[in-house]
Amino acid sequence: MASFVRAAAVASALAPEVLPDLPLPPAGGDWTRRAENIARAVAAALKGKAGLTEGEWQQLPCLVGSSSHFIGAREAQPDATLGPPAEFAAQLARWFGTSGPAMAVNTACTSGLTALGLARDMVESGACKHALVLGVELANRLTGAGFAALGLLSATKARPCDLDRDGLVLGEAFGAVVVSVSGPWRIAAAEIRVDPSGFAAPAPNETIIAQVMGAALSAAGWKEIDLLKLQAGGSPAGDLAEARAVRSTFAVPPRLVSFKGAIGHTLGASGPAELALLIDALARGIVPPTSGFAQVDPELGLEPKAGDARSVRRVLFNLAGFGGHVASVALEKS
Amino acid sequence: MTFLVAPTVLRLAPDELAARTRERFGGELRRAGSFAQLCLLGAQACLDAAPAGRSLGVLWASSHGARSAARAALQEAASGEPVMPFTFVATQPHLAATLLAQRSAPVARAAFVHIDPSGWPRLLSLAQVWLASCEQVLVGWAEEAAEGEAHQSDWCVLQKNPGEVTCEPLREARGALPATSADWLARVAAWLAAPRETLSLRGGGEAWRFAAGR
Repeated sequence: MASFVRAAAVASALAPEVLPDLPLPPAGGDWTRRAENIARAVAAALKGKAGLTEGEWQQLPCLVGSSSHFIGAREAQPDATLGPPAEFAAQLARWFGTSGPAMAVNTACTSGLTALGLARDMVESGACKHALVLGVELANRLTGAGFAALGLLSATKARPCDLDRDGLVLGEAFGAVVVSVSGPWRIAAAEIRVDPSGFAAPAPNETIIAQVMGAALSAAGWKEIDLLKLQAGGSPAGDLAEARAVRSTFAVPPRLVSFKGAIGHTLGASGPAELALLIDALARGIVPPTSGFAQVDPELGLEPKAGDARSVRRVLFNLAGFGGHVASVALEKS
Repeated sequence: MTFLVAPTVLRLAPDELAARTRERFGGELRRAGSFAQLCLLGAQACLDAAPAGRSLGVLWASSHGARSAARAALQEAASGEPVMPFTFVATQPHLAATLLAQRSAPVARAAFVHIDPSGWPRLLSLAQVWLASCEQVLVGWAEEAAEGEAHQSDWCVLQKNPGEVTCEPLREARGALPATSADWLARVAAWLAAPRETLSLRGGGEAWRFAAGR
């Protein structure tokens, strides 16, 4: 059985070039109340697009990809007992009005795509007809402090693939996707692997990225694609590794786009969040501009380009995560 | 048909963890906190007992995850100290996956999930799907000890090649014995020591039957 992206919605930083469904409210105040408000708003947007019956919606299993879960709610009370992250997933499911099984998925920046891969397994094996995938990364100090300690952040802005790129900019997002037995985009492959050298390395391994893209293309039965959604977050070493992998995979690089200049690197949320932005843009017939990109870096040799998307049918969607998880998902227009 | 091999049940007093890790791996595991050490000790013991495969999926779960690392990171942040990258949120499970990938057959897929303790059958269901793309799937559950308890690191391998135990999901959970993440694999291992009839266990609305294999 095949699986499809049926609908997607996202709340993120307000970026006119990518038009998220909802802007995020300002951070601050009660963390849990803010998370609930965002979740309920995204749920309403997604429900309107998914076209499921009330009964189908209520039965949705809920898979939540996040690297921080509800840690933002605990920062004010560090000695408090930490509840299990599965309870965070169950809480999100309740806010979405679903009562199927809930699980939290944690593979760092690829968490949301790993959740999508597991949802695909559930749909394609016949365990369910539809599954809800959430990617959630909401304000907390710990994540920013951890990335700052690693020296990975830009002092200015994210410039994916750009000659002057100097680091990541972290962002918040709440992305939601319904994976289903039918929908406008077939999930032709979802490859997610671990780089054995990943944890100690300063950047993702270009060989592993190329292997994962190659595996996704092979599983999909494709040699060429119409669009590649890059991981490209503006990290000097990370963008270079991905560029080398792209050049070794394709004789001529396909059309390229990155969303991290527009909404920041939203870590575990980035899969569902960027997927929602992408399929919305493609539905509007455009490949959006890659915010932050201005000058080609000759060492990378990649030039993201905006433009007409009406001919886009096959898309490869890349993510590479802290700790060595690398993902590539192949999507085909139904 | 799906086979389960090398059921491995590890219970460990918290103060034994570091020494056992050093003993098994011949030294400190760089950057590995207690959760990564715990995962790796159990997973490696299981792989040591399982037949070698050519490609491996790694699917493991925990209710609380890297509880001590998360608590340490929160306390660092609250005290104004820099948050160290290897204790900040979510890194310990990935470190375990990376360290395991350095010591095993090529890892074709890996996922770490948080599930309610009654949801252990979901791991088996997902692992069964993964067997379409992996020769073996290493399935585990690791839980750092709450106060006064023992660490838990329970693992098994699911594969298509014949092995000690066959396993299959049941359509009807009625009649199966209730089990949780804390005891389902221990019960399979105990049953395997003197297998008589089949063993049926349930949790989270699903049930699985285990029978003698080969």
